Amino acid sequence: MAYRMKQLRMLFDAQLKETFRERQVWFWSIMFPVLLLVIFMVIFGGDGDFSAKVAIVGERSGAAAEAFVQAAEATGVLKIEQDLDLREAEKRLKDKRIDAVIVLPESGETGDFRLLLNAEGQTSSTSQALGSIAGQLTAAANQVATGAAPAFDLKTEYVSASNNNRLKFSDFLLSGMIALSISQSGLFGMVGLVEIRRKGLLKRLKMTPVNMRLFGIANVGARFILSIVQVILLTIIGVLAFRANVDFSPLTFLLTFIVGTLAFSGLGYLISAVSKTMESYMGISNLVSFIMMFLSGIFIDVNVLPGYLRPVSHVLPLTFFVDGIRGGMVYGSGMNADMWLNLAVLAAWGAVSFILATLLYRRRSASV
Amino acid sequence: MHVLEVSRVSKSFGSVRAVQEVSFAANRGEVFTIIGPNGAGKTTTLEMIEGLQRPDSGAITVLGMTWDKDAENIKMRIGVQPQSSALFDLLTVEENLALFASFYDRHRPVPEIMELINLTDHRRKMVKTLSGGQKQRLAIGLGLINDPDIIFLDEPTTGLDPQARRNIWDIVLKLREIGKTTVLTTHYMEEAEQLSDRVCIIDQGRVVAMDTPKALIGRLTREREIHLKFESDAAAADAEGAARTEPHATRVERNGEHLRIRSGKPEATMYHLLGFASGNGLSIEQVSIREMSLEDVFIAFTGKEWRD
Repeated sequence: MAYRMKQLRMLFDAQLKETFRERQVWFWSIMFPVLLLVIFMVIFGGDGDFSAKVAIVGERSGAAAEAFVQAAEATGVLKIEQDLDLREAEKRLKDKRIDAVIVLPESGETGDFRLLLNAEGQTSSTSQALGSIAGQLTAAANQVATGAAPAFDLKTEYVSASNNNRLKFSDFLLSGMIALSISQSGLFGMVGLVEIRRKGLLKRLKMTPVNMRLFGIANVGARFILSIVQVILLTIIGVLAFRANVDFSPLTFLLTFIVGTLAFSGLGYLISAVSKTMESYMGISNLVSFIMMFLSGIFIDVNVLPGYLRPVSHVLPLTFFVDGIRGGMVYGSGMNADMWLNLAVLAAWGAVSFILATLLYRRRSASV
Repeated sequence: MHVLEVSRVSKSFGSVRAVQEVSFAANRGEVFTIIGPNGAGKTTTLEMIEGLQRPDSGAITVLGMTWDKDAENIKMRIGVQPQSSALFDLLTVEENLALFASFYDRHRPVPEIMELINLTDHRRKMVKTLSGGQKQRLAIGLGLINDPDIIFLDEPTTGLDPQARRNIWDIVLKLREIGKTTVLTTHYMEEAEQLSDRVCIIDQGRVVAMDTPKALIGRLTREREIHLKFESDAAAADAEGAARTEPHATRVERNGEHLRIRSGKPEATMYHLLGFASGNGLSIEQVSIREMSLEDVFIAFTGKEWRD
């Protein structure tokens, strides 16, 4: 018994050294997630402030046009340039020096407000926001023209599941990146198993009385250490450099973290059982990881996905894992029903992968 | 006493009959070598003994135990160096040995093994930085860490340069000195001749001959090849005539100043030719008699050319 404990300690020690002495691990499991976090934070994180440069051309004839321009100035999000002629404004729009051109109606009383946008940017969020702002401004101008007071007005407020109403997109992104990197270190981490099989090390170990169960436990143990390093590093960078907010529910976070790490290690184990070479292992893991990255709500909310994709995302383990991690580190949600659902789905994925992989390994070693 | 007994073991892979009715036994403390060309069935035989493959028929006992009943106990008491040196590449020499030591209920001290395989100076080096010969020595060291009663070395010197090969031979000879039973496979005849107490020649899955190297060579005819080099073609041609009349010479070939004679009684043929040369004032520049080797044994028993 004592020597079994020593064996486990030695195996764990060996796996830890094999993990942290591998440069690939440093790059893909540590550097790469940090890089990805920084890139996404810089592009999308921001403070959420929207602003756009708009040129308004044409005569401000009439009260409606006057009201339109004043309302545009009052939004505070539009930087307005007024002294350009139409040709110069269009040129600047094509060069993307400005985001839009608004042409006032020629007659002061009726006619169209025209909104010109850059065609290459027609799907961008800036263009869409400008469209809706211009629509509202036109409505305001109409009211002035007809003299009618609006009966209804729409006020938009953002509501989130968080107790913390300062929740920002960067918080969403940070927790997503943490979940993503943990899932990847599980998915990619079992490549070592393919390697030791290819090199004949697995065969060599089978010729010793080593307990392969202890070998597996030690392997998963090393995975945990790597994931803890990732969580700490990404959280520190997210909070210090990008002022992300965290609101930990320690138990929810810890449970999700443990069950999730096990589940993704199980998936990695399954991939190792079906791939003969390192290349095929990396190919399959990349594919799985790529699909989940976009369909599991890491960068974009699941509800934004087209309807036919949503059922897919509602079975992927990463969807449940990222939800659990967000619950545990951003929303501060305690041990609620959602958490148990997340844990149950993750546990199911882990258990099925593990059992399937074990059967495959058995069948293979029996056929040798 | 036999520490290893293999009796009438066969193994097929699909339609390929890799091993057919192979039987042999190894004695305590000897170096027992299985030799044969590539694909002869050496590794398959060894893997069945090591419990990695199950024979289709036949029986194997290791230290009086069988794999069906005593797998764990056999593993505790044998040491293995497989053909591909399978090591933890990112661990050091010392860490690999210490890790493997933890697999066994008893083991030799790590420094002692490092001394035996001559890697003490490299103990803090990661495996991936070692040379091929050093890796091979470490692989042997891992097989010795549990102080095994039998050690199996599968082609330990294949692909190594002559100096690295010498180093491995030294280890095998040291093992014999301390009384370990070693089962070795190789496809180098010279190696088998130098190291083995007994040799088992395998070809196409069958045992073709088994004995001490000396006895195997002794079983060949006493015929030897004599090689003489004369000062000139004319001198060699004169001597050729004398050789053809010598009663023990079975074949005579001349190529310029070189004369090759096969003889059933080489010392008599030699005496006759040297007498002829000095009597006729012919001067000889080189004399040699080629000894028969295991290679000739292989050719004699299989009728095939030996290729490394």
